[in-house]
Amino acid sequence: MAERNEAPVLEVRGIVKVFGGVTALDGVSMSLLPGRVHCLAGENGSGKSTLIKIISGVDTPDAGEILIDGEAMSGMTPARALRAGIQVIYQDFSLFPNLTVAENIVLPAAIASRKKLFNRARSRPGAQRIVDELGLTLDLDADVEKLSVADRQLTAICRALVQDARILFMDEPTTALTHSEVARLFGLVRKLQERGVAIVFVSHKLDEVLEVSHDITVLRSGQLVASGDAREYSVQSLTVAMTGRDVDTTRLVNDLGKRGAPLLEVSRLDLPGAFTDISFDLAPGEILGITGLLGSGRGEIVEALFGLLKPESGTVTVNGAALRPGSIRSSISAGIGYVPEDRLTQGLFLEKSIADNIIAGSLDSHARGKVVLSQKRIAETISTLFTRLRIKAPSVAAPVRSLSGGNAQRVVLAKWLATKPKILILNGPTVGVDVGSKNEILTILRDAAREGMGVIMISDDVPELVSICNRVLIVRRGSLVAEFDSEQIEAQRIQEVMAA
Amino acid sequence: MPIRTHQSAAGQVNSRIDNTVRTWISHIHVDRGIGRMLVLLVIAFALFAVLNPRVFMNPLNLQNIMVSAPEVGILAIAMTLAMLTGGIDLSLVSIANLTAITISTMYTGLVGSDPALAESLGGVIVLVGIAVGVLAGLINAFLISTVGITPILATLATMQIFNGIAIVWTGGKTLYGAPQALSAVGKSTVAGVPVLFLLFLVVAIVIGLLVNRTPFGRKTQLQGANPTAARFSGIRSASVLYGTYLTTGLLGGLAGVLFVTRNPTASADYGTSYVLLVIVIAVLGGTNPMGGFATVTGVVLATLVLQVVQSGFNAIRLSSYEYSIAQGVILIGVMVFDQLRFRRRTRYVASTQTRNIASMSNVGEDADETPDTAGADSVETK
Repeated sequence: MAERNEAPVLEVRGIVKVFGGVTALDGVSMSLLPGRVHCLAGENGSGKSTLIKIISGVDTPDAGEILIDGEAMSGMTPARALRAGIQVIYQDFSLFPNLTVAENIVLPAAIASRKKLFNRARSRPGAQRIVDELGLTLDLDADVEKLSVADRQLTAICRALVQDARILFMDEPTTALTHSEVARLFGLVRKLQERGVAIVFVSHKLDEVLEVSHDITVLRSGQLVASGDAREYSVQSLTVAMTGRDVDTTRLVNDLGKRGAPLLEVSRLDLPGAFTDISFDLAPGEILGITGLLGSGRGEIVEALFGLLKPESGTVTVNGAALRPGSIRSSISAGIGYVPEDRLTQGLFLEKSIADNIIAGSLDSHARGKVVLSQKRIAETISTLFTRLRIKAPSVAAPVRSLSGGNAQRVVLAKWLATKPKILILNGPTVGVDVGSKNEILTILRDAAREGMGVIMISDDVPELVSICNRVLIVRRGSLVAEFDSEQIEAQRIQEVMAA
Repeated sequence: MPIRTHQSAAGQVNSRIDNTVRTWISHIHVDRGIGRMLVLLVIAFALFAVLNPRVFMNPLNLQNIMVSAPEVGILAIAMTLAMLTGGIDLSLVSIANLTAITISTMYTGLVGSDPALAESLGGVIVLVGIAVGVLAGLINAFLISTVGITPILATLATMQIFNGIAIVWTGGKTLYGAPQALSAVGKSTVAGVPVLFLLFLVVAIVIGLLVNRTPFGRKTQLQGANPTAARFSGIRSASVLYGTYLTTGLLGGLAGVLFVTRNPTASADYGTSYVLLVIVIAVLGGTNPMGGFATVTGVVLATLVLQVVQSGFNAIRLSSYEYSIAQGVILIGVMVFDQLRFRRRTRYVASTQTRNIASMSNVGEDADETPDTAGADSVETK
């Protein structure tokens, strides 16, 4: 309790922010103590990002005050926030991909101190110092674009510390990390804590949140709905606080009945450098999970099924008919749909309307004689899917850019459901999606599978796999190393095999 | 209970109206080229009609505008198509000249030996000319899609090549002669409207339908909006790019036919100022040079605006140099206007997003409404 009495390094009181008549934040207060990890939880759009923007001086609050070291700051600007030691690490890390790690770490501090000349060689010692202090292994001379996501994140953290960060916001830091990388990040977070940095952790992954956080603030629809000691919360109670309703996290799997002829058969698929000797099958109505660490080859396997990659040998057959390797068209016409990992660049046409996105994959089947589009059939497809997937938007003419993560993902799903696929492959379908939407997306998949669609789902989120999959395959260094049947699926064991 | 039902019915009506209004507003955003060009057209027309009514409002002058607009307009529509995929076609004017030269050469060659045959083969000659345009488009498509050269560089090179061929072929001289049927078409009118102008409108409608109402057109839009997502959606960039540049070649060839229709002459250096002019027109008409968005209606209106300004400048005795200043000023003016509106729009989007989520449950009910699918038309036709 002693540390509780320490003076907060940052305090916000009664922050109100209104956007065009809509209250994004309604009297939110929060205080951060040095050396403690504070979790800021809430669904997409609950006001977390707005709060961070206000604290970092990007947005101006309509009411309320920000105190740093007990002193009220009037007119917060990004520059003043930086001077006060407030650093935000956004999901994309905002690094310069064409510069080296050392340059990325040192450059912003050099700019902040208004240096007119920048000496490449002199950047190294400064960067080296911080990397050594944190006990990290980072290649300082590597170009950032060649780094793994985890190493980019470490670079961003080092960059923040070089700028004397006292308050560090981390927005969804674990989204793109594997299990072992998350463990490494948490180790680092503890080190930062010892240095007296106040850390704010924004995350959807509640079990992780509870693992590292001391204090918790939960926002819902712009209002503070819960705050206090993290030890008083469980995943369940946190979910209820975030969504305002109970979410079922138990296992709910469709019954497959008797196994008939497989829908999809993958036989001895080989692509040197990515995967070797991959064989498995998929029954109609089955939901098959594939997991493994990042870089294990799990993504490459499904990319080969969809025709994005061309395997060197092996065959893929759908209902007995072989696919042409490396041909997206062949995969699509065989009835395979693919919800990609990076939905913003690979899955969606952001500036186009929801309607345009939904029919993007099925234009030919909406045309009379392949020439003229049937406006009526298009309208039917769009309105059916818009309603069925419960996409929350003012109208189907709204651009997809205006949607939240969960709704954007529903649009990608709608695009593929419009093609009436036999097999739907999803790569990280719930990444960056809030808890409520996530459960709805899983329900949509269960329903589609019940109608006979085969689903292959790649995910890092083991509890999610447990809750929906009939079977789970584990990939390690390009090979299938384990298969968990319906009776054997259990989160603990899957995680053990993955990390082994 | 009855009261409750009543309330939700009222709520439904309310949200339906809300939905319609928002759809309508977003249409205005998308079809930004149309509204502003219509306003500019009216302003320009009124301005010159007041400044020099005697010359500008002369029926002959108005007919002149309608006769000179089509060749530029068709080239601008072709440019719009290329820009829709995120590309550009700098070789359009060269293609048009090559077509015109082909027609003129074939005709004069035939006329020397058998004038009657030359006239009766007029249609064939025109088709051969257009085929030259399509062939040129095929070369562009091959370089851009199969070889993978950036459109601006590929068409810059082919522009030089086609232009060079035209100069070598003609020896830099102007060729005289074209099928007389063409000149007859060029002079004829229907109810006071020149046939050439009607032809322009037909081309615009056909391309508008192609872009909006065919799988090919929609794929072109999507390819331009996000090539990666297009690939992941099973859209083959090769078929989109070949289709696009073959069409721009075809339209370039058609413009070449219009060249010889207006004037039975052909030369390698005709319409050199058109190269950049058609880019100006396409962008004024609401085409996004980054790809994905365009409206053919907007481009037609933008063509008319610039023709009216040009003709009006003549009427008030300003030079072509002053006209080129005006082009630049209009372009910058429209872009500044766009920027201001874009800033407002991003704020608007941010607020709707907040609104969506701030009242998640309510908006959910909203979304259960039958959506207004008119929104599927992000590009306007006609």
